[in-house]
Amino acid sequence: MSEKATLFDDEFLKKLEYLNLVSNHMIPGHMHGEHRAKKKTDSGIEFADYRQYVSGEDTKNVDWRTYLRLDKLILRLFEEDADLPIYIFFDASGSMDHGAPAKYDYARKIAAALCYVGLLNQDRVNLVGFADGIAHELSARRGKHQVWHAFRFLESAQPGGATSMEKAFKAFFSSRRRRGLVVVVSDFLDEEGFSRAFDMLRYFRQDLFAVHVYTTEEAHPDLPDEVLLEDAELGTSQRVRVTPALLEGYAEQFEEHCEEVGAYCRKNGWGYLRTTTDVPFEDLILQVFRQGRFLK
Amino acid sequence: MIFLGMSAGMVAALLGTTLVAVVFLYWLKPPPRRVVVPSTLLWDRLLKEKKRNTFLDRLRWLLSLLLALTIGLSVAAGVGRPELSSPSQDIRNIMVVIDNSATMATLTADGFTRWEHAVAHAGRFLRQGSASGKFLILDTSGQAPPGEPGDRRSALEVLTGLTVSLGGAPEFPDLPELDAEIFFISDGVMVDGAPPEATLISVFEPAHNVGITAFEIEALPSEPTRYHAFVQMKNASPVAKQVTLRLSGAVEGGIRDTLTLQADETQARFIDLSGFGRGPVRAVVTADADAFSADDYAYGFLPIRTQTRVALITPGSLYLENVLADEPRLSLEVIRPSQYNPSVSADVYIFDRFAPPQAPGGPSLLFLPPDAGWLSRTLDVVEVPEAPAWNPAHPVLRFVALEDLRIDRAARIGVPADRDAQASSAGEPGGGSVSEVVVGNRSLPLVLVSDQADRIVRVSFALEDSNFALQPGFPIFLANTLGWLMDEQVALARAPGRVEVPLPSAAVTDLEGNGVVAWPLSDRTVFQADQPGLYTVVAAGDRRLRVAVNLASVERSSVNDSGLASSEITAAGTTVLAGAEPGPSDELWIFLLLLALVLVVVEWVTYHRRVTV
Repeated sequence: MSEKATLFDDEFLKKLEYLNLVSNHMIPGHMHGEHRAKKKTDSGIEFADYRQYVSGEDTKNVDWRTYLRLDKLILRLFEEDADLPIYIFFDASGSMDHGAPAKYDYARKIAAALCYVGLLNQDRVNLVGFADGIAHELSARRGKHQVWHAFRFLESAQPGGATSMEKAFKAFFSSRRRRGLVVVVSDFLDEEGFSRAFDMLRYFRQDLFAVHVYTTEEAHPDLPDEVLLEDAELGTSQRVRVTPALLEGYAEQFEEHCEEVGAYCRKNGWGYLRTTTDVPFEDLILQVFRQGRFLK
Repeated sequence: MIFLGMSAGMVAALLGTTLVAVVFLYWLKPPPRRVVVPSTLLWDRLLKEKKRNTFLDRLRWLLSLLLALTIGLSVAAGVGRPELSSPSQDIRNIMVVIDNSATMATLTADGFTRWEHAVAHAGRFLRQGSASGKFLILDTSGQAPPGEPGDRRSALEVLTGLTVSLGGAPEFPDLPELDAEIFFISDGVMVDGAPPEATLISVFEPAHNVGITAFEIEALPSEPTRYHAFVQMKNASPVAKQVTLRLSGAVEGGIRDTLTLQADETQARFIDLSGFGRGPVRAVVTADADAFSADDYAYGFLPIRTQTRVALITPGSLYLENVLADEPRLSLEVIRPSQYNPSVSADVYIFDRFAPPQAPGGPSLLFLPPDAGWLSRTLDVVEVPEAPAWNPAHPVLRFVALEDLRIDRAARIGVPADRDAQASSAGEPGGGSVSEVVVGNRSLPLVLVSDQADRIVRVSFALEDSNFALQPGFPIFLANTLGWLMDEQVALARAPGRVEVPLPSAAVTDLEGNGVVAWPLSDRTVFQADQPGLYTVVAAGDRRLRVAVNLASVERSSVNDSGLASSEITAAGTTVLAGAEPGPSDELWIFLLLLALVLVVVEWVTYHRRVTV
């Protein structure tokens, strides 16, 4: 079970401060609220570029001096600051409440860390816990002062139920959402598979960063000869005669599963990281930063 | 196939029980451990693929069960000691006569005895027969129970119960009418007479042996109170031997003598036992490489006492007083009849023409006693009786001649009606009768001996009325009588085996005082003395006998006196070497045990490699 009272303790907060400092150094000169998602529009203050005028466009930004000199209609473009929506989905299904430390706690720490950095960067951050649909949701927040609100939300979110990412994404993105970065922290043990859910993100033209969390025991289980395996999510069980060959086959199966998720992400240009709960979460966050997708 | 360990029914029951137990234990599985996993999603995928291998899994399970069953049944069948019959053998029935005479205890060069080789051969021959054949084991000493041929297991049981018999008169037994192959296994020393159809198997091998072929403790004829030992030794070895003879007895030290015996030479020694005290005497001969130990020692009993207190109650007898006073081992006290009282204490009482009203507290010798309540009455007086007959075999008359005995007058006494006066077992002390006339006859007993709790020798004439005291045998008579009254007898000499002693319902103990099983036989007692030794037999009334059981036989010590060579061409044309080991056993239990062990290892390896479950 998650360690509710001590999940985000002082030690954790110190690590977050450290991560924030590190993120500033990793992208030198970036400023909060300015460095993200700049797009060239006809409004704004800072000149960015020129482009050919297209018939029917507003003529207010036509550079008449250039027209007089070159006899061409050229539009002046300006950069407009656009905050990046970050949708952090953390898996709150029953399968995450497993291992020591629990995958769920690890996933929440990752979510908290990314949320913290996002809020400090003046991004809009959404926190969504999903199981068989959306289980917990914290609507978009912005600004450092929202950190504690987010932490309380994460601490109060309890795991349970089956996993259906497709249902969760469908429910979340069916309402109008801006394009942004979707961070999914999960074990991706979804009976319906992950591909349809990811296809949905692609349909909504969202950028994805998948963090695959699992335990070492999950990857390489140590089981007795005869065992009754019970599914933590569904409660179903089945008797299995365990042999070294079977264990080997399971390990291969697990590796295939991870590779499948990673390959899908890479194919779509998305970020993918897999980690065991043994890895310190701050190290994992740094890996996320290094991939450059989260900090721009 | 036959089973030597138990009946076929029992083996079948054991196998069935094992089978049921193994299968039951195989089905009886402990509940599996419950393990919660995050998701069985991946397991489900994996097991779906594995379902294609269900047949292989079942095959593995069956293989595992088969291994366990084979192990269990192998062990269970091995307990029954199964044995395969030899289909190639045309011998259906086997009779084995095994020589268990004394010389079969001779050691061979390989450290085993001829007997052990013979038993090994016998076992091999029994296994040669077909499983459904008849088998019979017989021996030359009559140990094997007589009976009809039976199955192999019974014959093997008889074989294991046989031992070497040191005594008796071994002979080839009578064979029952049976169409069978006959084997006679022998060293050829003591037993012959095998029928020509018998296949003779020799276990003879030349051996070294020096043994005592005679041993006797006896009084010197000239001086009955002194004893010597007669020891005869034989070197039956093919070479000369340095022999050490040692005699040990009740005193420490003993006597040691060393002599050289040439091959097949016999020597005798007379050894004075004056330095020995009363008690057992043991003679031992030792020589290098002696292969037959049963004749290396012999036992006897030295009866003489160092000092005997004798009370002579006489009105005056020079004869008696002088003779007794000259005897160094006697402590003589002369008492006049008027001074006698029952409190007089002595080992032996001699009453001369006197008898107390009550019997004394020990054995007594009486010369012409007057009537007393504890004695037979005097019937009349016979003047100048005829020259008497006497029993020289009785201990009191050993080395005593009475041809010249003349008696002026003697009292006729009555012999108790319940006491047979016939010396039916003359020469054997304590023979069937309690009273015995040793001089004279039943109508006129001149010397009557009574073998009761306190022995009595009654002379029915006075020394003064005869020339008995002037006879050369008189001192010997006195010494013999004192010895007999004190129960001073040398031990009876017997050979090992079944020993009969002339005492009814007696208890038997060996030299260490351990009881020996004995059973009454009419007026005798019988016991089995398998080993040489000195046995003490005690009957009611503290009647006591000592029996020296010694091999002491030239025939038995001649371990090389065989008509067989060390390898013998048998009647069947097969050469059997002495000491040859028997062939491999046909018994399967060892193979079954090996199979079980191998399968246990296989099961262990395959289990840990998850080949089996």
